[in-house]
Amino acid sequence: MWLDIVQTASDGLMVGGLYASVALGITLVFGLVGMLNFAHGQMVMLGAYVAFFTTAAGLGFWVGLGLAIIAMALFGALLERAVFRRTLSDPMMGLTVSLGLIMIIENLAAAWFTPDPRFMEPPLSGDVRLGPLVLSSQRLLVMALTTALIGGFYLFLKATTLGKAIRAMAQNRQGAALVGVKVTRVSAVIFAIGSGLAGAAGALYGSLFAISPFMGTAPLMKGFILAAFGGLGSVPGAIIAGCLLGLAESFGSRYLSASFRDGYGFVVLILTLLFMPNGLFGKRKARV
Amino acid sequence: MKKLQLRHLAILALATAFGLAGTLGARAETVKIGLIGSLTGPHSGWDAPASEGVHMAVNEINAAGGFTVGGKKYTFAIAEEDAQSKPDVAAAAAQKLLSDDNIHVVFGILTSTPGMAAAVPIGKAKVLYIGGFTSLDTLIGKPGNELFFRALDSDAIAAGPFVQETIKEFGVKKIGMLLPNEDVSKSIVKTYQPLFEKAGVQVPIVEYFQPGTSDFAPVLRKFQRQGLDGLFIGYSDPDAEAIVRQSLEVGGLPTRFIYRGGSGAPAAKYAPRIDGFAWQILTRDLDTTSDAKVKAWIDRYKAATKKDVTATTYWALTFYDTLFMLSRAMEAAGSVTDAKAIAAKLKGMKYDGVRQMQLDPQGFARTDIDIGFIKGGKTYSTPAHIQ
Repeated sequence: MWLDIVQTASDGLMVGGLYASVALGITLVFGLVGMLNFAHGQMVMLGAYVAFFTTAAGLGFWVGLGLAIIAMALFGALLERAVFRRTLSDPMMGLTVSLGLIMIIENLAAAWFTPDPRFMEPPLSGDVRLGPLVLSSQRLLVMALTTALIGGFYLFLKATTLGKAIRAMAQNRQGAALVGVKVTRVSAVIFAIGSGLAGAAGALYGSLFAISPFMGTAPLMKGFILAAFGGLGSVPGAIIAGCLLGLAESFGSRYLSASFRDGYGFVVLILTLLFMPNGLFGKRKARV
Repeated sequence: MKKLQLRHLAILALATAFGLAGTLGARAETVKIGLIGSLTGPHSGWDAPASEGVHMAVNEINAAGGFTVGGKKYTFAIAEEDAQSKPDVAAAAAQKLLSDDNIHVVFGILTSTPGMAAAVPIGKAKVLYIGGFTSLDTLIGKPGNELFFRALDSDAIAAGPFVQETIKEFGVKKIGMLLPNEDVSKSIVKTYQPLFEKAGVQVPIVEYFQPGTSDFAPVLRKFQRQGLDGLFIGYSDPDAEAIVRQSLEVGGLPTRFIYRGGSGAPAAKYAPRIDGFAWQILTRDLDTTSDAKVKAWIDRYKAATKKDVTATTYWALTFYDTLFMLSRAMEAAGSVTDAKAIAAKLKGMKYDGVRQMQLDPQGFARTDIDIGFIKGGKTYSTPAHIQ
């Protein structure tokens, strides 16, 4: 029984790490900059395709992962400059534009890549046996990579000047501008980082699951749930919420019914928001 | 002079008019058939080849001079609509076809979600409908649906030989079943589970997963430590490939897969790492065939489409023979518009085409199928004769 619980928990934490990396991007862009980018899920999808085609070209998964991060960060920076910066003063316009972007990106992807699902060759195969415990090597690798990614990002926020500027903006946008933080530039950087995280999540997602032009919807929906669940703008909140959602889905599917998989997360979210209306880590003001 | 010119002109006009009438009289008339299918979207892997097969059959029938009904020569013309893999679009596409009063026969759709949506307006319009999707089995034979036909074997017909052949090939004794939580899956389990049990194979676990699931690890863990030697899975290629791949990742699971689906593609990449994979080829095996009729059809397909045969091309045979049967039924009924009379002639008709086709009195097809296997790294097929 305990063996089963440990294996199910590891499955949950692995997928939870992926959810957290998507939610981090959303909580940064929406929670800190105030830009509502519904096309974030499509960046996950594009990141997965970048990694897939790079791997298929024989350059390997690691190059694919790096390229997915860089390509999506650049794409995010371009979108911020060309589109979202202009919608900052009108959230409704931002919402409409990002919904339109979903349609454009998804349909272009379907036209170029075809709707057929593709499966990427993972860098690791087989399993790791720790006594009676059997764990998938690739899933362990994804878990390690998401932990490193999230940890690295957390250190960046805590230890670098740019990270401090982002935290200052999270506390008070106007105050940060008054003390010399270049708010517009930092906003662009946040957008690029959030998009880069989506690219990384896409590459990791694609190393385990099917890649298709329509794969962005589920990560997007879950990312927004987690951003609210963890507390908008809260990095630790997004990480913990991601892990909790992964665990809820995994244990629910294993011990209750797999046909209600996506429902477990919503049950946890609704219960949390009933008792903690600002999310797990949300206070009156979002914090980093 | 002017009078002479006018007379010449009148003679010329009359001659032209008679000439044209003569030409039209010799030219065959056209029977327009509706064709609906998901040419785009995730279901296009089924419907796009099926559409190619319909075009191929129509071109071949027309090139051979068409067919004769009541002393008149007829050829087929196709009015085609894309269902885009979406039920609302499928219903609208069906409506569009049905708004054409010249269409009395509609072909198409191999997947249940858009298929059921399109079947509603088609049923109301009282036109003859020849479809391919699984849920059509729940409509055929019911009052009001006397004009519905399915060009592929129903599960009730194909399941028996499929179960028999897979047990013979894999020697399984205890299997689990894993399918998406959809109505079709419930009917699949209802059909297959008793057949396995009757053949002495235990089925201790049946699980349904949420449609659209990408991470199967938690539900696959339910199948570990059950002493299973096979997994019965369904029924779309992306789900099947994800299950095969993640079964290998998660470990501790049987790697003999009995796929209630129509392609070996989900297991092709993993062939050296699995013990076996069986699937239903509901038309004919195009990859490893030795049948001369199938080989000749493949040559015609390549010439007609300028494409090579792929893993999904065999769906092009879904309606291919049925088009020839339709032309015969129209000849026998003496009408190209009386859907009831044509349906009556189709019911009970046998046709020895690329497939051995027979439509029973209710509208179900009874056709020989092939069963595909991947075993020991090799891919092959076995013909399964339907009783």
